[in-house]
Amino acid sequence: MAIQLSKDKIDEAINTIIEYGGDGIQRCVQCGACSSVCPGVQAGFPVLCRLLIKKLQDGLLEDIIEEQSSWGCQNCNRCTEVCPQGVRPQEVVIAFRRYQANELAFSTSTVSAQMQLHDIGHAVFTEAGELREGVGLPGKAPTSAYNEKAQEEIQAILDNSPMAELGLF
Amino acid sequence: MAKVGVYVCHCGSNIAGVIDVEAVRAFAETLPDVVVSRKDLFMCSDSGQELIKQDIKDGVVDRVVVAACTPRTHEPIFRGVCESAGLNKYLFEMANIRDQSSWVHPQDPSGATEKAKMVVSSAVGKAARLKPLEDKFVDVTQKAMVVGGGVGGIFSALELANMGYKTYLVEKDPSIGGVMAQLDKTFPTNDCSACILTPVMVEAGSHPNIELMTYSEIDDVEGFIGNYNVKVRRKQTYIDWKKCTGCGACVDVCPGKAPDKFDAGLSKRSAAYIHFPQAVPKKAVVDMDSCLNCAGRKIGSEPKTSKKTGEPMYAPCEKACPADAVDRSINYNPEGEIVEVDVGTIVVATGYKVMEKDCFKELAPQHSNVMTALQLERLISATGPTGGKLLKPSNNEKPKTINFVSCVGSRDVNHHTYCSRVCCMYMIKQARLLKEKYPDLDIYMHFIDVRTAGKDYDEYYTGARRMGINFLKGKVGSIQTLDDDKMRVVAYDMEHGENVEIESDMVILATAIEQTESAKGLAQKLGLQFDGSGFFKEMHPKLGPVETATQGIYLAGCCQGPKDIPDTVSQAKGAAAAAAVPLAQGKVKIEPIISEVHAEKCSGCGICVPLCPYSAISMKTFADRPRAEIDITQCKGCGVCTATCPSAAIVLHGYEEEQIMAQIAALTS
Repeated sequence: MAIQLSKDKIDEAINTIIEYGGDGIQRCVQCGACSSVCPGVQAGFPVLCRLLIKKLQDGLLEDIIEEQSSWGCQNCNRCTEVCPQGVRPQEVVIAFRRYQANELAFSTSTVSAQMQLHDIGHAVFTEAGELREGVGLPGKAPTSAYNEKAQEEIQAILDNSPMAELGLF
Repeated sequence: MAKVGVYVCHCGSNIAGVIDVEAVRAFAETLPDVVVSRKDLFMCSDSGQELIKQDIKDGVVDRVVVAACTPRTHEPIFRGVCESAGLNKYLFEMANIRDQSSWVHPQDPSGATEKAKMVVSSAVGKAARLKPLEDKFVDVTQKAMVVGGGVGGIFSALELANMGYKTYLVEKDPSIGGVMAQLDKTFPTNDCSACILTPVMVEAGSHPNIELMTYSEIDDVEGFIGNYNVKVRRKQTYIDWKKCTGCGACVDVCPGKAPDKFDAGLSKRSAAYIHFPQAVPKKAVVDMDSCLNCAGRKIGSEPKTSKKTGEPMYAPCEKACPADAVDRSINYNPEGEIVEVDVGTIVVATGYKVMEKDCFKELAPQHSNVMTALQLERLISATGPTGGKLLKPSNNEKPKTINFVSCVGSRDVNHHTYCSRVCCMYMIKQARLLKEKYPDLDIYMHFIDVRTAGKDYDEYYTGARRMGINFLKGKVGSIQTLDDDKMRVVAYDMEHGENVEIESDMVILATAIEQTESAKGLAQKLGLQFDGSGFFKEMHPKLGPVETATQGIYLAGCCQGPKDIPDTVSQAKGAAAAAAVPLAQGKVKIEPIISEVHAEKCSGCGICVPLCPYSAISMKTFADRPRAEIDITQCKGCGVCTATCPSAAIVLHGYEEEQIMAQIAALTS
């Protein structure tokens, strides 16, 4: 089925991305330098940087709302370094991710990471007490994971941030 | 007994990388007539040249053979060396051991070395028999002609005129201006085409050294560099241009109608018309094919008498003209008038035409909302059919969606393989102009590649992306007609890897730039050649971009290949500079390597006459019998006559029989 291009859909996609911080999207000339250096693309996430931007330029915002590739971006920012047109592709990817998040279209792995962030202040956390004691460090690291007061502060911040509107916590 | 010196060049690794130069030098020493044989890293360098000069001055040699690269680039240098050392420069011969040995046999060094020896041996054989020759000179008519009154022709004419040479500017249309006058705005500055062109047109029109010959065509050209006689046909205007003031009164009343060529066929003009509002010269013309002969006033007839009033009945144009320039009683000659002018050099700047959309059946050419880019140019021009408003031809309503299709007929083996060079830029220009004027307009541009190579051009293109113009990589394969008003554009989005379909109100085709239809006839009259793309062929694609194979004829603008305005103007000024050189010198050199008829041997058979590609041979009567005679100014030294003459009566100087036979003997012994 061929893509039906329409002004309304293109405008919506471009404006959404610009609103979420990807204002370089209209500068992209589809050279593909960003994708060539992208570790996410190398890891098998095809719709990153170039192709993601292309799909958005074609107005396919809603159509790719479930796309998982954007969550493969590691924020390494190599794309921004190599982009010859000043697009800042990473910002486009993150802008699209913001759009996805606001539509609650993120991957399950991301949900659990966000909830853990809310609970203990770490998106990813492993209990390393024994290992730490083995090398002579205190078992409980001085982080929010063992500090209720700090956890409350983090929860207060997150509850008052736009993140809370997503209804995850 | 000739004393031949042989000088073998290493040419860096070009020759020495393959050929054993010392072996060739040593072999040359053994050849008959050779008195000295030397080698140098670069014979064309100062030290190499000095070797030759010293041997000539010392009286060691009186014939010079240089075994090196090619006579195409280096023969003049070594001839100059001989001349500066006091030797006749035609006693020099070149052995081309680079092009003919090292470059073509890089895999076989010993074979290449043997071949180089033979090439040297052949050159020595000829050199030993060379005879001194003298250059000839003829005077030059210090006037120039420029054919074509577009922006290229105008600038060539202005340059020549400002240098002080009387210049004839010949233009087939009633006004100068060419295609540039039809354009709305020009990239990448978006300045108004007419605003920048009109002052230049006026300057050309009023320049004391420029004689405008508009509504004229080249009928015939005779002669050679410095001495061209051109017959110019001034087409019949049916209006006395000496009296016409360009007021347009006849245009307003004329009921005859024809498609307006200036508006790319989008509107109609009357039979009596002025080419365009800023025309130079601003004079009216009657197009007899669409003239209705109002009141029975055929050209050359006396007015009928009205039965009611008894007064003579005149045509509306005659009655309207306040300057008495329209008089249909005159029996005009429809062939016009032949004007003969003598000029020294000619610049050809005949421009281009755009391909018609009808050639592209898959792109719905019959649909009125599918138009060529030149038509859109007129549509968005303030002097165009809608006064600059973008309206669909089908119903005069504003379109919501426009698609631009690139490479229509260009980069296409079915039509033209070349890139038309300006389409990307003018499509982006049109899209930007429209987007500025109508921000709601939805614009899609389909490209194979975007080619925006000029100064400030790529910035213009990336700017267009930022304006929200949609670029798609992938050529449109088909346009489907949905109804009288809408079309579906079917393309492939290569970057996306998917088919795309777009409903569109208008489609603009960037049709190819191609050579004009009249170019073929002009080429025959001027002795011009065509390149593989059908444009006029320059002498050398890099080093002779404005010269042609015919001396004294120069090229400028799109007749030599697609070009934008900056490149056309640059080339036009370059062509003018080249065309002024013979005029400034006041005389032109005729190389003596041309043919001569020995009348006492000529049997008068006339075989040579039709064979000469330059029409240089004619039959003249000597002692009551016809004999061939060669015009030295026309002869190019090709040797066809020499090879053909059954009586061996024609000698090609510099390639005489004895010299050629010596070469053959050297190669076959």
